[in-house]
Order: sequence, then structure tokens, then C-alpha cells
Amino acid sequence: MDIPVSRDTVTIDESVHYIYKQLTDGTDPVTVPFKTMKDVFLWAASLGYKRGERRPITGKKLTIFRWAQFSSQNDIPVVKAISLADGDDITVLLSQDEMLNVVEEYANAGIHDLRTRLLDESGQPLWKLVNTL
Amino acid sequence: MKLERITIENFRQYYGKQRVDFAKEDQKRVTVIHGINGAGKTSFFLSINWCLYGKSFENVKVVDNVGELMSKEAVSRAVIGETVRTSVDLAFLHNGERYMVKRSLQGIKQEDGTVRLEENDNFTMMRTRADGQAERINNPIGTMNSILPVNVREYFLFDGEKIDNFAKPEAAAQVKQAIYLVLKLEILERSRRHLDTVATEYRKELKNKSGKELRDLLEQEEKARADIKKTKDRIYDLHQEKESAEGKVGDIDKRLREMENTNTLQQQRDRIERELKQRRTEMEEVVSTVRDLAVAGFFVVAEPAIKKAIQLLEEKRERGEIPSDYRQQFIKDLISKMVCVCGRPFMDGSEEHKALLAKITHGLPDALQDEVLNTCAVLHAFEQRTEKHRADLDAAMRRRAELVDIIRILEAELDDVSRQLKGSPLEEISKLERQRENFRADIQSNTLEIGSLHVRVDDFTKQIAELKKEIDRARKEEKREVLLSTKLDLAQKAADAIGEMYQTFADDMREKIQEKTKEIFKKLVWKESHFQDVKLGPEFNLEVIDRYGFSARPELSAGERQVLSLSFIMAMSRVSEEEAPLVMDTPFGRLSSHHRNAIAEHLPTLADQLVLFVTDEELRDEARQSLEPRIGAEYRLEFSPRTSCTEIVEVR
Amino acid sequence: MQKERLTKLFETFDPAVRSIVLGVLDIEQEHISMEKPRVKEHIDEIVSAVAKKELERINGQEPA
Repeated sequence: MDIPVSRDTVTIDESVHYIYKQLTDGTDPVTVPFKTMKDVFLWAASLGYKRGERRPITGKKLTIFRWAQFSSQNDIPVVKAISLADGDDITVLLSQDEMLNVVEEYANAGIHDLRTRLLDESGQPLWKLVNTL
Repeated sequence: MKLERITIENFRQYYGKQRVDFAKEDQKRVTVIHGINGAGKTSFFLSINWCLYGKSFENVKVVDNVGELMSKEAVSRAVIGETVRTSVDLAFLHNGERYMVKRSLQGIKQEDGTVRLEENDNFTMMRTRADGQAERINNPIGTMNSILPVNVREYFLFDGEKIDNFAKPEAAAQVKQAIYLVLKLEILERSRRHLDTVATEYRKELKNKSGKELRDLLEQEEKARADIKKTKDRIYDLHQEKESAEGKVGDIDKRLREMENTNTLQQQRDRIERELKQRRTEMEEVVSTVRDLAVAGFFVVAEPAIKKAIQLLEEKRERGEIPSDYRQQFIKDLISKMVCVCGRPFMDGSEEHKALLAKITHGLPDALQDEVLNTCAVLHAFEQRTEKHRADLDAAMRRRAELVDIIRILEAELDDVSRQLKGSPLEEISKLERQRENFRADIQSNTLEIGSLHVRVDDFTKQIAELKKEIDRARKEEKREVLLSTKLDLAQKAADAIGEMYQTFADDMREKIQEKTKEIFKKLVWKESHFQDVKLGPEFNLEVIDRYGFSARPELSAGERQVLSLSFIMAMSRVSEEEAPLVMDTPFGRLSSHHRNAIAEHLPTLADQLVLFVTDEELRDEARQSLEPRIGAEYRLEFSPRTSCTEIVEVR
Repeated sequence: MQKERLTKLFETFDPAVRSIVLGVLDIEQEHISMEKPRVKEHIDEIVSAVAKKELERINGQEPA
């Protein structure tokens, strides 16, 4: 499949990097449920879409992982779904750049939601994550 | 600098191209150019200046009226629209290398008889390389400054009209400036001043930095390392304690197993502890499963997106924008074969043909089509996964809850066993159990502490990594500081060195000029018995001292003043030891014949190369005779009143 | 020549200092016809180059 590729870096706003770190820094699965930043990102993007909120990245951009790390079985279909559901234009499937822009902005909004759900108040993050589902 | 040849083209009264080859041999180093007043000596002199420096050079005006540089004859002979050109070409030697400098000015003849000049003149400076090739010099100003700076030229390209300038009383400033420039005192002064300024700037820059930082950081790193070591040691000790306590517990258990009264209970305990261990392991696995399922469950949250995406894709399909069964290539093949899907051939332009074409033009590019079909299929599969995922997660959470209960019950059973043993009427047994309990408590508290100490070690390790980054940065800073402070030290020392030696040098130069001026003046002036001395005062005033010790200046004749001036000029030329020609325009004009003769006799020895512009009256008889053996080239400027042009004629 | 005189004038000084002095004198000579010459950058270049060499020389002399 020849989808024209321009960039393969997935970026977040520098100002939310601390949330990503907090959710991945540690070994105890109950307090630190996520293993990789990619996992956090996908959750954030999904939450962002659910809320219907896109937030453009205004600060400095940090690369946290690469497109190649997405699993084609589990991750890419969701990325595509969100990109498609965002607008009406199916040609978005041909542009990796476009899809990245869309999911990055949903993630930029959703990450705050994720933080509120998992880190605020008492309770272990893992159980709160389970409750979200 | 030794002049070799000059070629003048259409410059003032010099029409056409004319050339002078300068005498430059050791024994014959004098070039004489004759001309009556108005014949063109001044113009010739000007041509050299203009060629080297242009109409102005670094804000020093060299030529007064550029418009009048062009040969009127050349202008009048040109036809309308023709380009008229003025140029001067000068070849000279300097430090063994040959230089060629050319300056030209051109313009187009207008209808009204004038020439519209181009804005700027063209200037090129070339040097001949060792291999004979000419190479262009990119920094002509800097190069000329190294050979003959514009503000020094008047001491070498010497206008005879100004001959008595230096002997005037008010000339002290001029004398000083001449010495400063020619003898490089000015350069020393500037060097010292600028080095001082540069050093001051370095000093300011250095003040803003502090060397403390690196030391502090290194201390911090050391402390962090010490803390890690201490913590690790403590962890080790705790492990040892734990092991020892576990050993003690093991011993007690063994005892209890062996004793008749307690062996049943102890066996029970053993059994419960085994099961507890298993359940705890199982718990870990379940939690891990929950975590994996939860983390991978984002697609469940994204369900609305998946639904909407599927809807969108299906829509496009239905609207015929994506042929679901055919593919573009297939259709194109059909068209090229002019055969319909069902196999029947069709005619060009027929309905079937048009329909097939429509499918291609309204359809989508192959790549997109593939995307759409694949994505659609994959997303459908996701829809089904949601249910199962939720179910798996629920099952895992339920199992966890079960295990929580099971474990709780098991722990309660353990407590029970312990209580029974503690409550035994046999002192030995209850004591053993109590000891066991204490050991278990120690083990637990040690385990907790070990856990938290490990976290501390991680923190310290992170801290050290951070510190390392900062230390590297600080080290780089320090290196820069060391360089800066070395620069400061050297620049200041250099400035101070010049300051130290300047006065010595200046005094030395002043004395040399004084002595040389005196020597030359004596040679040239017959009234020497009247004069005691020539002094160059600290205020740079040229004085001639009479035998009574007083300044004799008021008594100097006009000629003597001129000779003093000339002596000074020549003294500078000698003392500076720069290889430079003396080009003198009518130097003898106002001198008496005696002075003239004396100068003619000594002049050649006082310059490396001499070019004299003279009128015939100036150079006659004895003066001529003295100069004769040294003359290597001689020209005459012949002015024709008819054409108002001068022709350079070679006499020898 | 005047240049030789100047070289001799500073011969008792440290070679690094001397090298800077002579270098700067050359620069000033090139800019002598200017009233307000822009020589600071050139001077900084000369001083930096000499300073670096000096540091290398000194560091090379340190006992290993």
C-alpha cells in the first residue's frame, strides 16, 4: 500500500509530557498501569474523541514515539477510525501526516481527561482505568 | 615600492596612450622628466596619485575635479555615442613581487559635446605569482595600506610646492603626524589602545561567570554517590537480618513440627502458608492480565469512532463511489478490449462504453480503494472484539475479587493457628510462638523498608544522571572560562608590552630623525658654521640652533627653510628604511642655485628611487652635472599649443 | 625596515605576547588609512588563536 509518508514521529505538547511520564514511570502495574507512551497516547486520543474535543498543540513539540511502533492489528485501525470519524473525507486514509495531526490533537485534549480520571483523588490508577471501560 | 612603468591614456593633456619606464637600477636610479611650466608635470604627478588612490581614498581627497581628468582632445575626436576612456596603468615592485594597478574611467559622448561619465571608475590591483600568472588582489585597500598608505603618500609622492611646510613654526603638528605615520608610531599607539579595549571587554565577560558552580556540582555528585552506597549497605544489612530472622522462624517451625503437642497445628500452618503463596502468585498474574486488558481496551472507548467510520465507508460504497466488486484496472482492461463485463463487445461511444468510463472517472484511485476496502473489513472485526474484551476484563476482575476473599480467609486462618499456639498452657510453646510472631513482624518491616530504600536508590541514580549532565555543561563552561582568562592575560600583556616599549621606541625614532635631518641639512647648507645643531623638540617642532644656543629659525632664508623641510622629508625616508620612491615635483623651484647644486649632488643617495619633475631652469649646469651619472631614464614633456596636448618624448 | 625594528623591539617578551603584538601591528597597518577602523574582530581572532595554542602547550607539559 503506497500511502505517501512525510513524517513518522508522533508528537505531544511539551507541557503535558509530565503526565505521560507519571503514567509510565514505575514497575507496579496497579499504580503505573501503562508500559509505553504509545499506550497512553492511544487512550488519550480515544478519550479525546469520545469527548468530541480536539486541541491543537501550541507549545513546543516533543517526539515520544514513532509510527512504526503502532501495531497494525490493534492500533492502526483505531487511528484510521478516529481520522475518518473526525470529518467526512475518506482520502484522509492516504495521508499519514493528516491522520497524525488528527489523533495528536485529540490526544492533546484527552490527556487531561485521562489525568483527571487516574491521578486525581484517592484510589489506584489501574482500577480507575478499568472503571472507565 | 619601486616604480617600473606607467601608461597614461587620455589623462588631461595626455592624448592617446603614452608610457614612461622608470629607472630602477642601483647605480642609475634617477628618472628625470623635463617640462616647462604648464607642460603637464602636475598632471603627470596627479596621474600616479589617481591611479593608486582614485579620486578619494578612505575620505582622503586625492583629486579635486574628476570631470576634468578626461583628455579634451579625446572627447572632441569621439563621435556621438562613442565610448571615451581615460586610464592609468602602473606597474611596480614591492618586496620582490610585481604589482599592477590600473584605474580607468569611461563615458559616452553626448550630442552636446560632453561626455556622460559612468558613476564609478574601474579599479583593479593584480599581483604576479611565482609561476608567472597574474592574480587579482581582493583586498586592495589593505594591500595598499601595507605598501604605501594614502595618508603617508605625501611624504613620498612629494609636491614641491609644499616644500617648506615642515619648517614653518606652526608645522609641529604636521611634523608629528608625519613621524607617527611614516615611522609607525601611530600603528603602535592604535595597537596598544585597541588591545587594551579588547582586554577590558574580556575582563567584563569573565566577571559574569563563576567558577564555583563546577565545584558545587561535583560535591553534590559525591554526596549522592555516598548516599547510594550507604543505602545499598543498609539494604544489604536488612537482607541479612531478614534471612537470619527467616532462619529463626524456620527453626521454630521445625521445633513445633517435632513437638507432639504442636505438630498438628504446625502442619496445618505449613499447609495454609503453601496455599497462600500459590494464591498470591495467582493474584499477581490476574492483576497483570487486568492491566494488559485495560491498557489494550482503548479501542472500546473509541467505539463511537469506529462505528462512525464504518458508516462513512459503507456510505461511499453504496453511492457507487467504490465499485465493490470491480477494480479500476479490471475496468480499464475491459475498455481497452472494448468488451463489456458480460463479455459482449461494445462500440466506441456506446452506452456500455460510457458507463464503464463513468465508473473510472467517478471512482477512486486504486490505492484509496484498497485502503477503504481493507479498513472497512478490519473495523468490522473490531466491532466484534468489543464484547469479548469487556467479558474477559469482567472475568478477570471477578477472579481478582475472589482471590482477595480467598487470601483474606487464609490469612485469618493463619492468625487463628497463631493465636492457639500463643494461648497454649505450656509456657515453652507460647513463648516460641510469640518469638515467631516477632520475627515475622521484623521480616515484614524489613521487607517494607527494603522496598522503600530501593526507590530511594532509584531516585539517587536519577539525580546522579541529572547531575552528570550539569557537570558536563559546567566543565564546558569552565573550559571556555579558562580560554577567556588566558585571552585576557595575553591581550593585557600585549597592550602593556607596547605601552612599555612605546616611549623608548618613540624617543629612539625621534632621535634618529633628528640626527638624520641634521646630517642631511649640514650636507646641503653652506652656512653650516653658523648652525650648531638641528633639534626635533619633544613637541615635535623642528629647530635649528645657532652657535649661541638659540633658535636660529628667524634667521633662516627662505631657501634654507625649504632645505630644512626637504632634509626632514628625506630623513624620514631614510630612517623608515621603507623601500619607497621619492617622486618630486619641481623640488628645486624656489631654491638658490647653490642649494640646488648641493641637493642635486646628495639627493640620489637619499632615496632608493628618484623621479624628478623639473623645469629646464631648475636643472642646469652644476646641478645637472652632479645628477648626470645617476640618471637612468629621461623624458621631455612637449606641449603643443595647437592641440593643447602634451606628448611624452623619450630622451634617453 | 621598520617592521624588523618593531620585531626586535619586542624580542625580550614572551613569544605568545610577541606573536600577538606583531599580529595586531599588521592588522593596524592594513587599516591605517581609516579613521575608525573595525579591527576588534581581527584582534579577537589573533588573541584566540594564540591563547588556544598556549593552552595546548601548557596542557601538553603537564605530567601525565
